[in-house]
Amino acid sequence: MASAPYSYSYIFKYIIIGDMGVGKSCILHQFTDKKFMSDCPHTIGVEFGTRIIEVSGQKIKLQIWDTAGQERFRAVTRSYYRGAAGALMVYDITRRSTYNHLSSWLTDTRNLTNPSTGIFLIGNKRDVEDQRDVTYEEAKDFAEENGLMFVEASAKTGEKVEEAFLETAKKIYQSIQDGKLDLNAAESGVQHKPSQKPRGAISNDQQANKDSCSC
Amino acid sequence: MEETLDEVVSLDDLQKFERAYNEQLFTDSVTKETQFNYAWCLVRSKYPADIRKGLILLEELFKRDQSEEGKRDYLYYLAVGNARIKDYAKALQFVRAFLHIEPGNSQVQNLETIVKKRMEREGLVGIAVASGFIIAIGAVLGLILAKR
Repeated sequence: MASAPYSYSYIFKYIIIGDMGVGKSCILHQFTDKKFMSDCPHTIGVEFGTRIIEVSGQKIKLQIWDTAGQERFRAVTRSYYRGAAGALMVYDITRRSTYNHLSSWLTDTRNLTNPSTGIFLIGNKRDVEDQRDVTYEEAKDFAEENGLMFVEASAKTGEKVEEAFLETAKKIYQSIQDGKLDLNAAESGVQHKPSQKPRGAISNDQQANKDSCSC
Repeated sequence: MEETLDEVVSLDDLQKFERAYNEQLFTDSVTKETQFNYAWCLVRSKYPADIRKGLILLEELFKRDQSEEGKRDYLYYLAVGNARIKDYAKALQFVRAFLHIEPGNSQVQNLETIVKKRMEREGLVGIAVASGFIIAIGAVLGLILAKR
């Protein structure tokens, strides 16, 4: 029997940002479709993706806005930052310039999101170790100095991609639990869906009753 | 995926990019970027009149800007804008024009899927309304014939 397909208690809004060509869309596709697109064309404006995950037994729908990295889109893509609960900031470990631009991406994020927005730094393309241009240590230091979560990941192999999305969600969920994130604020980036019992649950109860009757 | 056609631009943004456009228009020096940013906001408005204005600006850009990069942006948002005012046939024309140049583009393939889905969904509604109308006409005709 089909259970209720879309039951979740929260919606978290994410943005993915960073220079062009660092693999933002590939990271998104790896996360939502578990596929690697080898020939990923430049994103036009913004692309949208979604997936339901589970944190501490709660189903959470992630609404992910993947922004175009090209400079000419930047003025308008900034408006997508507003109300993001999580931000994935991506650079390419084989291209130093993409790392050097992080502070500018971080400034935008801090200015346009709220203080409780969880920011996760992702060094992508760790599968091409021989072309590495940014060391793990310096990026780790940068992340620590700025209070960011950090991993090196590979959209190609899928390594650590899942982790980045999940850890960000855990952080956001923790902020909700700690009362740091006000769900009623318009720009928290989180929507709480009062827990509705999925339709399937009723029949499960009936099933349980039947079972208990039979004994 | 349907958020691509549902998300709405904030009034602040729309006004900000409108102001920039109007200022340049006043001095007859509208840059491609300013016009594109404004058009991009317009096609995400909740008002069809704004979307139509955005489409006009995008068509103008399409004629004016010969760069390949620009063309793909304009085609994409021409498709989005037309889909948002429910001109699905026209939206699909722009999608196909885009895919003709860049066949494997997944962002545009996704858009195509959403547009077709909406077309189907709303097309069925259209048929239901039309058949209701036919039944009503039938009933009226029946009454007229019965009176004779």
